[in-house]
Amino acid sequence: MLENKNALRDMIFELACADGTPGDEIQAVEKAAEMLEKYMPVRIDILGSVYGELQGDGPHIMLDAHIDRIGMIVTSVEDSGFIKFAKCGGTDARVLAAAEVTVWGSEPIYGVITSTPPHLSKGDESKKAKEFADLAIDTGMSGEALKKLVSPGDRVTVNTKTLELMGDRISCAALDDRAGVAAVLRCLEMLEGKNHGCKLSVLFSVQEETGGSGASAGGFSIAPDEAIAVDVSFAMAPGLKPEKCGVLGKGALIGYSPSLDYKISRDLERIANEKKIDYQYEVMGGKTGTNADEIQIAGKGVKMGLLSIPLRNMHTGAEIIDLNDVEAVAALMAEYVMERGRSDA
Amino acid sequence: MLELIKKFCGVSGISGREDKVRELIISEIEGIADYEIDALGNLIVHKKGKKPAKNKVMVAAHMDEVGMIVTYISDDGTLKFSTVGGVDARVYLGRAVKVGENAVSGLIGVKPIHMLEKSEELDMPKADELYIDIGASSKEEAKSVVNLGDDVWFDSDIVTFGDGFLKGRALDDRVGCAVAVSMIKSELEYDMEFAFTVQEEIGTRGAATAAFGIAPDYAIVLETTTAADIPGVENEKRVCTLGEGAVVGFMDNGTIYDRELYKLAFRLGEENNIKVQTKTMVAGGNDARAIHKSGKGVRTIAVSLPCRYLHSPSCVIKLSDGECVRRLALLLGEEFCNA
Repeated sequence: MLENKNALRDMIFELACADGTPGDEIQAVEKAAEMLEKYMPVRIDILGSVYGELQGDGPHIMLDAHIDRIGMIVTSVEDSGFIKFAKCGGTDARVLAAAEVTVWGSEPIYGVITSTPPHLSKGDESKKAKEFADLAIDTGMSGEALKKLVSPGDRVTVNTKTLELMGDRISCAALDDRAGVAAVLRCLEMLEGKNHGCKLSVLFSVQEETGGSGASAGGFSIAPDEAIAVDVSFAMAPGLKPEKCGVLGKGALIGYSPSLDYKISRDLERIANEKKIDYQYEVMGGKTGTNADEIQIAGKGVKMGLLSIPLRNMHTGAEIIDLNDVEAVAALMAEYVMERGRSDA
Repeated sequence: MLELIKKFCGVSGISGREDKVRELIISEIEGIADYEIDALGNLIVHKKGKKPAKNKVMVAAHMDEVGMIVTYISDDGTLKFSTVGGVDARVYLGRAVKVGENAVSGLIGVKPIHMLEKSEELDMPKADELYIDIGASSKEEAKSVVNLGDDVWFDSDIVTFGDGFLKGRALDDRVGCAVAVSMIKSELEYDMEFAFTVQEEIGTRGAATAAFGIAPDYAIVLETTTAADIPGVENEKRVCTLGEGAVVGFMDNGTIYDRELYKLAFRLGEENNIKVQTKTMVAGGNDARAIHKSGKGVRTIAVSLPCRYLHSPSCVIKLSDGECVRRLALLLGEEFCNA
């Protein structure tokens, strides 16, 4: 199934290592735009999202993945040289103590998040993580020196390594949703030289983690007939409920939900069966909690499909995916675009 | 000394698996000093000085670090573990680790925050809910690279940052090892004994036999000690401060230190312009716990670097404190040898 594992892995790591917390996605945007330019003309919109567009006479299909990642935001620089911060997107406070971070000041600054030493943890205290307000970033610098480089509003991201795990699984921070961005790019690669006839738009949207503003504006501006959003979703892991999770390595999660277009969901499933692409179900009873919710009601409305990549340890530096699932999502999107183009011609 | 610290932190060595650290130390002192390895794995080094010492002085630093050990492989290919030494789940949840002889990459799994009730968002998982994910999809796949009993250590590099600070895993107590090795490499006035001990983190096991074997009159324990000089911690609870020099405590949870030696350390610091600070809480413990009561008893002092986030993947020290520890330890050694 996996045609070129190393190329896909490298692309994902390159995207995931770019900075880009909500509202400050420029580094990731530039990286993704550069990769997208290989396939289509690219522009950046008012909010900072990346648009790509290929002309065609067929239906107008948009592929979306969000370009932002969760992180933190500086709220004050203390005289002692420590930095106080808040979350920017749904960052999990439980994994922050003693974590290494980069503070994106006027230059990137290395820091370590404070943790309570064992001698000060009495009784049950170690059962509770510290709240954001009780954490700080240790930069090893004086307050005076630090204030010249860092100001409130600067962003902070957790440093993680890019890890290759067993099989085709990989780990690093920000796979949510740079893996989705990579799936869209991989889909375009698969479509290269294929005459599908669709008008094809790509949206790498900003600010998903803080509510989906980029998807809202992008959906409105691009105004496609239909769209597929690519995001990550929960992968089964110890302690989780199987009915709420996909399984790593078992393929693309096809979304079914009242807010998604039922025919698109069914078509995706039929095509996956026909083309022998691994898939699983992700069934939701209301909204999807992804950009699909925003794009659906942008402008005069968009028919939505949702494909998700199963991912473990969401919103931590330990996010894990299986490359085969990214490939499956890409292949399924590519086949979908091919069929829609042909069936409409 | 930075080079030595980097080198010693470059290998893993949880309690009971100190072999790689020991080999590195031997490679540094080979030809400079005589050494032997005792039954537990302690490295005992005899360094000749310019003259014989009146009293036998032992300098100790422990080679082991906190970590984990694989206890079970689940059907889904994830690994269960026990902690080795005191490690708080709050500093390893969601962190990268290395497992066993193949140094297999793994991560400590985290239940996604989206799946928690609002009221549970800060609750740490229970110990038996924690697992290591190496990406294996079955027990068989995991078994091909991992065995029960394999050692697990934090995947965390040495980083220098800020104004002379150093971050790394296992700085407790590779820094002490580095100070001791730099002492061995220097020209000593008197003959001295050095013990690089095993299994400090699970209850100062190695120090007990090392001290018995050497049977010193005096001992100097080189360590890192917990510093809480961070926002939100006030006054005495800060314990000690990075950048304020060597830490010499009067008492911790393992030892009441020799009062005269305690005073001597501060006097030597003052006379020689070396920063020395005390600990403002009775907290922690180290190899002195076993050494001071070894045999017929040993007059013991601990000289430590203040260390933030002790027992985490990101211990932080200030290098200038290391120099204070080294200089003070040398002066104390000479005093003890000649007392």
